[in-house]
Amino acid sequence: MLTVTDLHAGYGLSEVLVGTSLEVKPGTIVALIGANGAGKTTTMRAISGTITPTRGEVRLGGSRVDGLGAARIARLGLAHSPEGRKVFGPLSTEDNLLLGGFRWLPHFFGFRRQARQALERVYDLFPRLAERRAQLAGTLSGGEQQMLAIGRALMAQPKIMLLDEPSMGLAPVIVQEVFRTIRRLKAEGMTMLLVEQFASAALAVADHVYVMERGRVAVSGTPEDLRRDPRVLAAYLG
Amino acid sequence: MLKRLILVRGAEIALFIVLGAVPLVVQSPYALGLLTLLAIYGIVLIGLDVTVGYLGQINLAQVAMLGLGAYVAGIAATRYGVGIPLALVLSGLFCTAIGALLALPALRLEGPQFALATLSFTALCATALNELEWLTNGAQGLQITRPLLLGHALDARAFFWLCIAILAIVWLAMRNLMSSQWGRAFEALRDSPIATDAIGVGTYRHRVAGFAFGSGLGGAAGALYAFNFGYLQPQTFVYELTVILLLGVVLGGRKSLWGAVIGAMLVALLPNLLSSHLVFRAFSGIAFVLALVAGVRGLVRRKTDAFRALAPIVATFTLAAGSFLASNTEDWRKAIFALMLFSVVVGLPEGLMGFAAAALARLFRVAPPALPPAAPLDAVLPVRAPDGSVLLRLDGLSRHFGGVRALDGVDLTVKAGTIHGLIGPNGSGKSTLVNVVSGLYAPSGGELRLRGAALRGGSLMAAAKAGIARTFQNLQLFGGMTALDNVMVALRGAWRVPLPLVLLGLGRLEEWRGRAAALALLEFVGLGSEARTRAADLTYGAQRFLEIARALARRPELLILDEPAAGLAQPDILRQLEIIRRIRQRGITMVLIEHHMDVVSELCETVTVLDEGKVIAEGPPAQVKRDPKVITAYLGAPEPGAAIAASAPAPVTGAP
Repeated sequence: MLTVTDLHAGYGLSEVLVGTSLEVKPGTIVALIGANGAGKTTTMRAISGTITPTRGEVRLGGSRVDGLGAARIARLGLAHSPEGRKVFGPLSTEDNLLLGGFRWLPHFFGFRRQARQALERVYDLFPRLAERRAQLAGTLSGGEQQMLAIGRALMAQPKIMLLDEPSMGLAPVIVQEVFRTIRRLKAEGMTMLLVEQFASAALAVADHVYVMERGRVAVSGTPEDLRRDPRVLAAYLG
Repeated sequence: MLKRLILVRGAEIALFIVLGAVPLVVQSPYALGLLTLLAIYGIVLIGLDVTVGYLGQINLAQVAMLGLGAYVAGIAATRYGVGIPLALVLSGLFCTAIGALLALPALRLEGPQFALATLSFTALCATALNELEWLTNGAQGLQITRPLLLGHALDARAFFWLCIAILAIVWLAMRNLMSSQWGRAFEALRDSPIATDAIGVGTYRHRVAGFAFGSGLGGAAGALYAFNFGYLQPQTFVYELTVILLLGVVLGGRKSLWGAVIGAMLVALLPNLLSSHLVFRAFSGIAFVLALVAGVRGLVRRKTDAFRALAPIVATFTLAAGSFLASNTEDWRKAIFALMLFSVVVGLPEGLMGFAAAALARLFRVAPPALPPAAPLDAVLPVRAPDGSVLLRLDGLSRHFGGVRALDGVDLTVKAGTIHGLIGPNGSGKSTLVNVVSGLYAPSGGELRLRGAALRGGSLMAAAKAGIARTFQNLQLFGGMTALDNVMVALRGAWRVPLPLVLLGLGRLEEWRGRAAALALLEFVGLGSEARTRAADLTYGAQRFLEIARALARRPELLILDEPAAGLAQPDILRQLEIIRRIRQRGITMVLIEHHMDVVSELCETVTVLDEGKVIAEGPPAQVKRDPKVITAYLGAPEPGAAIAASAPAPVTGAP
C-alpha cells in the first residue's frame, strides 16, 4: 500500500530525516514510536506532501507520489490527520467534515449524494459529532476536535490514513474511545500509519512497529518482538 | 571576538567614512542634494523599520511624520528664528507625541485595519497642512531659509555632513536600543502577544512606545528635509512618497540598519539614475542576469519552487526589455519601481540585506560573542521557605461564554509549597480555570485571592506582576528568538536602566548580568548547551522545558503548568518530572494540569477533579483515583486485553 525508501526531509537548512524507510501493508496498522525530535511527525509530513522530501521515494499503491504536493497526494487516497488536530475553527462541525470530502471534477455533480453517505458513516462512528453538527469546530472540546479531525480524514474515503498523535492532550476516557475507533476502522479494513506517544497503547493496536531515532528507523518488528527487546523496553515502555 | 568586532564594526565605520568622503570627490550641487536626501531617508527608514520590521505592522503614516516634522521645523525657523539643533529636537518631540496619540487607538488594531488607520492619518495631515493657510501658507508652499548652526552658516557640503553625522548617531542609538531589553520585547510581542503579556512585559505599551519612537525619528528627519530643500508643499507628503518609503524598507530588508540605509540609497538615488538611458539599461541588464543565475541555481538545487524562481526572472526580463524599447524611461518610472518591488518581494522576501546577510554569514563565519558564566542559582531563583499557608483561594469562581457555563462556581484552595493537580475530561473547564487565574479571561463571578489579596481579573499583566507565571498547553514560545533571549526577556526586575541611557549604550552591564541569570535558569532545566539555539529549532521536549525556564525567570510564587507532559515521549516525561521536583524543592507552589495520571499521582499532594465546570472530587491522588464519579467521567474503565492510558505507560518511580 505505502512504501517509503531512504526518505530525506527537513526544514530550511536543518535535515530531520536522514534515510527513513518503512512499509505499510494493506489492512494493517503500522505504529511509529520514538523520542521527541526523532522525526516521526516529519516522516508523516514528508509522506503526505506537507513538506517536500529532498531525497528518497514515497510510493502509494505502486506509483511514486513524492514531490506531487499535498493536495494531489490527498486526491490519490492518502488522508493525513495532523498533530494538534488543526480543525477549521470558525466553521461548523458539518462543514469541516464536508470539506474533508470535497472534490472538484469529476465527482462534482454527484457531490452532495456521495458526501451524504460519507457523512452518515462518520456520524455512525462518532455519534457525538452528529449531536454537535451545527456547532463551530473551534468551540468543541479537545476530544471532540480529535474525533472531528479523524472524521474529516475519513470523509475523503481514503485508502490509507496517517494519524499523528491522536491521544495528545486528551483525557484517559477519551483516549480509550479514540483507540476503540482505531480498532473498529481496522476491522473495517482501513490501512493506517499511526504516530503515538503512548507507546503501550500503540503497540496494543499495531500489526507492525517502527522505532525511530535521530531521523531514521532504529528498530522494527511486531509488537511482540519489541516487547521482548530490552532496549525498546527501557526507553519507551518503562 | 576580535574578528567579530573588526568585521561588523569595521563595515559600519567604512560605510560612514565612504559616505562622508563622497563630497570631496563629487562637487555638483545636484548630486550633493541627492546624497543629503539619502541620509535623510536613511533616518526616516530606520524609524519606519521599527513598526514595519520589528512590530510587523504596515505603517503608512511615516510620510505624515516626515511632513509634520518638516513644517514644525520650517515654521519654527522662519517665524521664531529657532536654530537647527532646537528645531531638530522640537520636530522630533512633536512627532513622538503625535505618534503616541495616533498609536493609542490605532495599535489596538492589527494588520489591514492598522494600515488603514495610518493611511487615513496621512490623508488628514496632508489636508490639514493644505488648509491651515495662516500657519503653513497652504498650497503656495512655505519658503524657508536655512538657519545657522551655532552661529555658522552651512553650505550644502557642511549640511550634508551634518545629516550624515545625525544618521550615524541614530544608527548607534538604534543599535543600542535593539540589543537591549526593548529590542527583545519588540521581537517577543511579534511572535506571541499573549506570552509577552503573561511574562509581564506588556505588548500594548511596547507597541505604542515603538511606534512613537519611530515617528519621532521621522519628525527629526523632517526638520533636516525642510532645511535641505528650503521649500515645502503639502502635496509632497502624500501617497506616492508613502509607497516609496515602504518600498525602501522592504527592498533594503527589514529589521536591519544596513537594510534601511541601502533601501534609502535605492529610493533616493535610483529615480535619478534611471533618467539616464545608459545607466538604466546597464542596471536592468545586471538585475536580469542576477535573477536568472539565482533562479536557475535555486531550481537545480530544488531549494525554491518554480514560481518563486521564475517570477523575478520574468519581471527583470520585462524590465530589461522595456529599457531597450522605451524611448523615455522618465515616464515609466513608476512602472519600473512596481516591477522591481514585485521581483524583490517574490524573489527575496527578506530584502537585499536579508539575502546578503545570509550569504555573508556563510562567507565569514563569525563566532557569536562569548557568554558570561552562569549566575549562582540562589541569586536568580531564591529558595522560598514554604509556610503551609494558603497561597491561592478561589471562591465561587465562574466564567460563562454566552450560554455555556465553562466554570460554574468553583471553590479551590492551594497551599503554599505544594503541587496541586487539576484533572478532568476535555471541556470540563480546566483550561478556563487556568486562563482566569492567570488573567487571560476575566471571571464572570466569584473571587480570586492570592495571599489574601484580591486579584484584579482579566489582566495577564496584573497577574504576572502579582507573582503568577504560567506555561501554555500549545506552547507560546518566541520562536524566532534564541533560548537565552526567551528567558532574558522574561527576567523580573533585571531591567532598570531608563530608555535615554539605553540609547546612549549604558545598558551593557545590565545586559551582561541578565545573560548570566538567564543562563543559570537554562542550566536548571538542562538546556545550558542550547542557549544560542532558536526556540523554533529546539526539539519539542526542549521547547516544553524552555517554557518552564521562561516562567521561572518571573521568580513566581505560583507557577501554573498547563499539560507539561503533553506530547512528550517517555524519556522526556522522566526529565520533566525531575524538573518539576526540583522546582518544588525551591519552594515554588504549582498548579498542574495533566492527563498522564501517573505523573499526577507521582507529584501532587492534592488533586481536584473538574467536570462540566464544577468540582466533582478533591483529595490525595490515591483516593481520587478510586472515586466512582471520577472513573465514570474521566478515567474510564480499563478494557480487558488492551493496555491503555489509565494504567499505562509504566510507573515512573526511580527516575534518574
